[in-house]
Amino acid sequence: MHSPINTEQQLLAALAAGQRGATEQLYQQNYHIISGWLIKNGGSAADAADLFQEAMVVLFGKAQDTSFRLTCSIGTYLFAVSKHLWYKKLQKQHKEPVYLLENTGQDDEDEGAGYEEDVNVHEEREAHYDQLDSALDQVGEPCRSILKAYYHHDKSMQEIAADFGYTNPDNAKTQKYKCLARLRKLFYTVQAK
Amino acid sequence: MSQNKSTWELAEAYIASSLSQGEVGELNARLASDIEFANEFNEAANLIRSMEGNGKQKRFRSMLRDIHEKQTAGKVIKKGLNIVLPAHFWRTAAVAATVAILTSTITIWSLKPRLNKSESQYNNISREVKDIKKVQAQQQATQNQLIQKVNKNIPAPPPSDVKYTGTGFALTNDGYFVTAYHVISDEDSVYIQDHDGDYYKAFLVNFNAEADVAILKVEKKNFRFSKGEIPYVFANSKAGLGSQIYTLGYPKDDMVYNEGYISAKNGFQGNELQYTLALPAGHGQSGSPVIDGKGNLLGLLTAVGSQNEANTYAVSSKALLELLHTIPNANSLHLPRTNKLAHLSRESQIEKMQPYTFSVKVYKK
Repeated sequence: MHSPINTEQQLLAALAAGQRGATEQLYQQNYHIISGWLIKNGGSAADAADLFQEAMVVLFGKAQDTSFRLTCSIGTYLFAVSKHLWYKKLQKQHKEPVYLLENTGQDDEDEGAGYEEDVNVHEEREAHYDQLDSALDQVGEPCRSILKAYYHHDKSMQEIAADFGYTNPDNAKTQKYKCLARLRKLFYTVQAK
Repeated sequence: MSQNKSTWELAEAYIASSLSQGEVGELNARLASDIEFANEFNEAANLIRSMEGNGKQKRFRSMLRDIHEKQTAGKVIKKGLNIVLPAHFWRTAAVAATVAILTSTITIWSLKPRLNKSESQYNNISREVKDIKKVQAQQQATQNQLIQKVNKNIPAPPPSDVKYTGTGFALTNDGYFVTAYHVISDEDSVYIQDHDGDYYKAFLVNFNAEADVAILKVEKKNFRFSKGEIPYVFANSKAGLGSQIYTLGYPKDDMVYNEGYISAKNGFQGNELQYTLALPAGHGQSGSPVIDGKGNLLGLLTAVGSQNEANTYAVSSKALLELLHTIPNANSLHLPRTNKLAHLSRESQIEKMQPYTFSVKVYKK
């Protein structure tokens, strides 16, 4: 176990690297706040888990850029992003009619203003990854499994060579490059659609 | 030597920053001089970056799920608080909704606007006319008054503000019509505004608050909704699950068309006098006719579900006909008997429906 990380910037860096300790710490500090808010506002516990995960992924995405600096605390950021994601989800589900009477739309626009861009970037990236995944599903075996093992499951070329029966890592690597070439073709056709 | 490496190998090494200084220099020179190679290299590098980013994010997501499961394991998960309203409390619900509406205009700055009604699973969809709408309605009323003064000799609506609006549709051509009871429940006066923008005063004939149906009549003598006969007929029995339906209503000043299907044979909490519909509906559409593709009138819209269940509820024509039989001169009413819509296209059906579907405006002094 890591000892608690003290500064928020260190915490962010650890989060960006995908460290479990940092992620757990952020979960413990923030999950109950967001889930409490959501349940008070008509969401379920399952909604809360999804929403928190999505907000964490937005933060994770932002933190990948080492020059990223928060202008508020991580907690405030996660809460604001969560609210924004939730309102967006509601809007999508309902196309508004139920809320016509009450929808002034003013105060949450003010609140979400700084985070809207982050959420939009996140959604674009998600769409991009979805396209990538659907290209990957079409790439055929053994390519699909090899690429998944290397990129999704973070396996080394040695492990992959052993798992897929290649005589040495270099052969596996050559195969991986062939697979990438095939994926590229598929991906740019998917994108063109 | 980078010339001997494949584009993929180069791109991978470049992203991992594992190229030597000499190799980077060589690569840059080649990228600058060979456009074809540069394109290929960029595509390769972008794809590898995306694959790495996607993989990293997937691992992060699965770690988060794992943390969540471990943290919540053994804890009782609190469920969202839902207040369920018994079916016979509709009238109370309608009143409560009204109170909530009024309250929300006051507390709107302290409460999150789209969410504060989530306790109620059931929202009546009459429309309270808010300030901006009031101004619009007044303007329109004034415009109409002017036009009416010039053209016709029809009484103009009272000067007091429109309180609620709903939708109504004709029961007989000589002025009997139907709307949802909650639309007109606390009326001082009710007017209908027909497709041409003319106002007609109406009075309440009978109602069933529990079923949320009201029958009204236009006061004017020798009134006709339109020259022809009413083109739809009232269904005697309930239509089946999955029937395609549509509705016409006035959530705003123009008539709005929506279509959907019957998603459950009974309504809110199994209410047998209702249907559950998968149909988008908004405030102001209470009382809108629900018609199947063949011109059978199946019911009228009464309420929409809360945000968690995107259902719309309609009172069945059966409840409407039952109420109709309780009015004293029921036998002398000429209900439409011929279905003139059955073989028409949807567009023509709507056109035929227009004179018989109108906005219901409720005024309060």
